[in-house]
Formats: sequence, structure tokens, C-alpha cells
Amino acid sequence: MSVVSVSSVPFSLGRLGLIAGNTFLEAVRQKLFGFLLFLSVGLVASAQFFREFNFGSSELKFIADFGFGALVFFGSALTIATTAQLFFSEIENRTALTLLAKPIWRAEFIFGKLLGVFAVIGIFCALTVGLLIALLWQRESQLMRFDPEAFAGGRIIQYGDLLIVGTLQWIKFGVLAAIVLLVASFSNTNLFTVVMGFFVLVICHLQYLASDAWRHVDSVIGALAVRLLGVVFPNFQLFNLADSIGQGAGIDGALALRVAAYGFFYIGVIGGLAVYSFRHREI
Amino acid sequence: MSSPVAAISIQGLIKDFAITLRGVKLRAVDTLNLEVAEGQVYGLLGPNGSGKSTTIKIILGLLGPTHGEVKVFGVPSGRVEARCKVGYLPEAPYFYRYLSGRELVRFYARVCGVKKPTLKARVDEVIDWVGLSGAAERRVGTYSKGMLQRIGLAQALVHDPKLIVLDEPTAGVDPVGSAEMCELIRKLKNQGKTVLITSHLLAQIEDVCDRVAILDRGRLMIEGAVGDLVGKRDRQALIVDPLPPEDLAALKVWLEERGHHLNAVEQPRARLDQVFLDHVARR
Repeated sequence: MSVVSVSSVPFSLGRLGLIAGNTFLEAVRQKLFGFLLFLSVGLVASAQFFREFNFGSSELKFIADFGFGALVFFGSALTIATTAQLFFSEIENRTALTLLAKPIWRAEFIFGKLLGVFAVIGIFCALTVGLLIALLWQRESQLMRFDPEAFAGGRIIQYGDLLIVGTLQWIKFGVLAAIVLLVASFSNTNLFTVVMGFFVLVICHLQYLASDAWRHVDSVIGALAVRLLGVVFPNFQLFNLADSIGQGAGIDGALALRVAAYGFFYIGVIGGLAVYSFRHREI
Repeated sequence: MSSPVAAISIQGLIKDFAITLRGVKLRAVDTLNLEVAEGQVYGLLGPNGSGKSTTIKIILGLLGPTHGEVKVFGVPSGRVEARCKVGYLPEAPYFYRYLSGRELVRFYARVCGVKKPTLKARVDEVIDWVGLSGAAERRVGTYSKGMLQRIGLAQALVHDPKLIVLDEPTAGVDPVGSAEMCELIRKLKNQGKTVLITSHLLAQIEDVCDRVAILDRGRLMIEGAVGDLVGKRDRQALIVDPLPPEDLAALKVWLEERGHHLNAVEQPRARLDQVFLDHVARR
């Protein structure tokens, strides 16, 4: 008697979750994850030693900017390297051969990988932002004791905003992971995928220039091309809402929700393209 | 009871690979027609580059055919449903090194949809069946080649498939491990499973297979029952105790008087692998 009933095999979130869990387990056991996490945490922790070099902005703002700078830099590196590595380790070690010979959809494989990487980056963001919040809280408490008048209206830092910014960065890394998976789905080498990943990261960060420029391009075709560029590549500057932290101004919740939706839209579309590309890949 | 539908049906299969950007193609499989009946142990033989692995990958849906049709139990091989009844052990398998043997088999069982109430019992059963109960808690990264083959067989069997595809199951394995693998294949045959096996070790294939097909440069050269292909129907061998020369001469005369001819007098030889197995303790 067969232990598996067979008629049709629908798309399964359970199998997707299994692949995601396995991807997560593999990622956190890699030295790269620990190394980048250590560097990021170290850099965030060191922010308090550089507070004399605050370039005119408030000390708390400087610590927040420094922390988010570390999150963005190491998070981007971790996202690109981990996504490419986890995908190609399956292909090169031929574990994909065994896995894809099972009754699973390739969409489950791709989105399982994406979800696994997303979870790993989530842990990274949570730890880094958690440390940043602890540091800011501790320093702000010291400053409140030292100069109570400056904090007469209560705490300056709105800690909920730090969580919002951290979450938006996490979603941005999810978009980046989807892009890297799309490249990996047709690329033959890990190196090409990593280089392309960094290349696209730069484009996405500078994409807002194209968005601004299309209004000023005279040629209709040129304007359309620039506008198309602005649609094809997600605008990563939208996710950067950290400027208002430490300035007393809060983050607009509706805006944060719109940015999150924008990010998930791109994750879905780019992930779908990765599935389409991977469907025809010969393993 | 045997199913009227063939376990594997290959009709006019052609597989081309593009080998240059100009579109030059290499024909890996050339108009292959094969049918593997349910319950058979079928050997697919051929030198390197003969198209064996490509054919297997098409059967498993890992590659798409350029032309032709491949069905597994009547279901086109590209469909996910076709893989529900198939277990696959790849050549020189490499599994997730950080998982224990039990975790690995459990992972694949869940991917294959083995239901939770039977999961533990089924995982224990196949691990015991391949003789790895004592090493099930060890990480796969510490396994020997022979153990990897056996855990690979366990993951291939965990969902109780009707067809098991074994790609070079004894490659790189010592004679003891090879003999054990052959024993497991015989047990599978006794359970009524269909087994498709490729191997360079022709003596082993001969021992376990009912039928074989020999491929060369993608073409089917010969196909048939092993007994038909290797047996010499116009000859017979009599194994007797050593005869003194005068008795041998008398036997020769006796045979010639009846119109028969003594073609050869040889000393029967044991096979070297059998001598090896007789002197090496099995695990």
C-alpha cells in the first residue's frame, strides 16, 4: 500500500515552508552569516564611541544614522551573498537534483528559497535594530539624567519609528533577494549572480534620479525609456525613512504602509519572474 | 497484480543541447523508444556520454524533451504528478551535510507528502531497511560513500514509490557496499517494485536485471532480456568432478559416437568479487 495518495499535486504552502525552513537552517549555519552579523553588531555598538564626530547633527541622530548605515551596508551584502550562495549550493552540490525529482513545483522551490532568505535577513535586521534601540535608549537615558531640561517634553527618539524603519529595510532586502534569485534562475555562476546583484542594488538606489529625470527629457522615446527604467527597477530610496528619526518628527504610518506594499508588490512580481525563468532551467 | 500501463514509456525521444551561442546542437538522445514494464528491474547501459543520465533526467522531469514523449505510469514526465510514484537516487549523491540521516529522510518524506501519523514509523522503517539504524542520528556529512548511497536509497523509498530510478548506485562504492546494494535491489524486485538502474559495472547489472538496453551516442543499440542477450543457446556446459585424462578421452569418443562435439574443457573460475566478499566481513 502506498503511503502517499496521488491524483493531482496542488501548490503546497507546507512544502514551501519545508524548503524555507531548510534554507534558513543552512544559512544560519554558514560562517558568512555569523561574520556579517558580528561586523554589523560590532559597528552599531561602536557608534557610541564616535559620538564626538556627529557632524553637527544631534548625538542621538548620529547614533541612529550610524546604526542604520551598518544595517543597510551589511544587510545588502548579506542578502546578495546569502541568496546567491544558497541557490547555487543546491545546484552545484546537486541537492536540487534530488529535491526537484520529488513531487514539488518549481515555484515552491523558488519561493521557499526566497522565504528562507527573508527569514535569515529578518533575524539579522531584528538583532541589529534591537541592539540599536538598546544603545539609543541607554544613551538617551544618560542624557536625560545629565540635562533634564533638554528632555522636558519626554524622549526625543520615537522607538516605534526605529522598528518601522528596520521593518522597511527588511522588506527592501526581500526585494533585493528576489532580484538576486531572478538573476540566479538563469545565471550559470555564483560570481556572475553576486556581481549582478550589487550592480542592480546600485541602480535601485540611484533609480530615483531616473524618476526625476524623465520629466525633463525632451524626446518622447527617451522620456518613456527613462520612465520604464523607473518602473522596472524598484526605487530603494523610498524605503529610507530614517531621516526623521532623532529630529522629533515621527514617521507617517500611512506612508510606511504604502512603501511596505510597494516592496511586497515587487517581491511578488520579481519572484514570479524568477519562477518563470527557473521553470525552463535544465537541472 | 501488474498494471496494463507501462512503468516507463519512451516514444521517439530526442534531446538536443545547444553547445554554442550560434545554435550548434549536440544530440544527446536520438529517437529513443523504450518500454519498461511494471515489476521489472531494467538496466540502462552505455559508455560515458551515451545519453543514460539525460534519459533519466527527462524521465524525472528535470529536463524537457526536444521531441518525443515520455510517460511514467501513463502520466507525462514533465508533470509534477508523474513524480509521485517515483523514487530517485542520483549518481554520487550529496545531501544536506548538516542534517542527521533521520532528519534527512524525514525532510524528504514530508516533501513527498507522507502523512504525519505514519511519518515516524515510515522513516524508521526505511532507515532500518537500508541498514542504517545505528547511524541514523549521525550527521550526513560524516557518512562514508556506501552509507551515503544507502541513506540515498532510504530517501528514495520513503514515500513507497512504485518506480525507483538508481543512477550508478554502486559507483565509487567498495565491493561489500556494491553487493549490499545489489541485495537491496533484489529485495525491491521481490516487493514488486519497478527498478530502472544505470551502471558501468556490467557484471552487477547482469546479476540483478531482467532486461537491459544498451545506448551509444544517444541511440538504442540493443534491448532485450538478459538471458536472451548473454546466453548461448547452441551450447551447454556440464560441471563435473575432475576427470582423469583417459576418462576425458572416453567421454569425447562417447560424445562423437552420438554426433556431439566436445568444444572446450575448462577449469571453472570463481568471480573475483565473490572471492573478495567471501574473505571480507560484511558490515
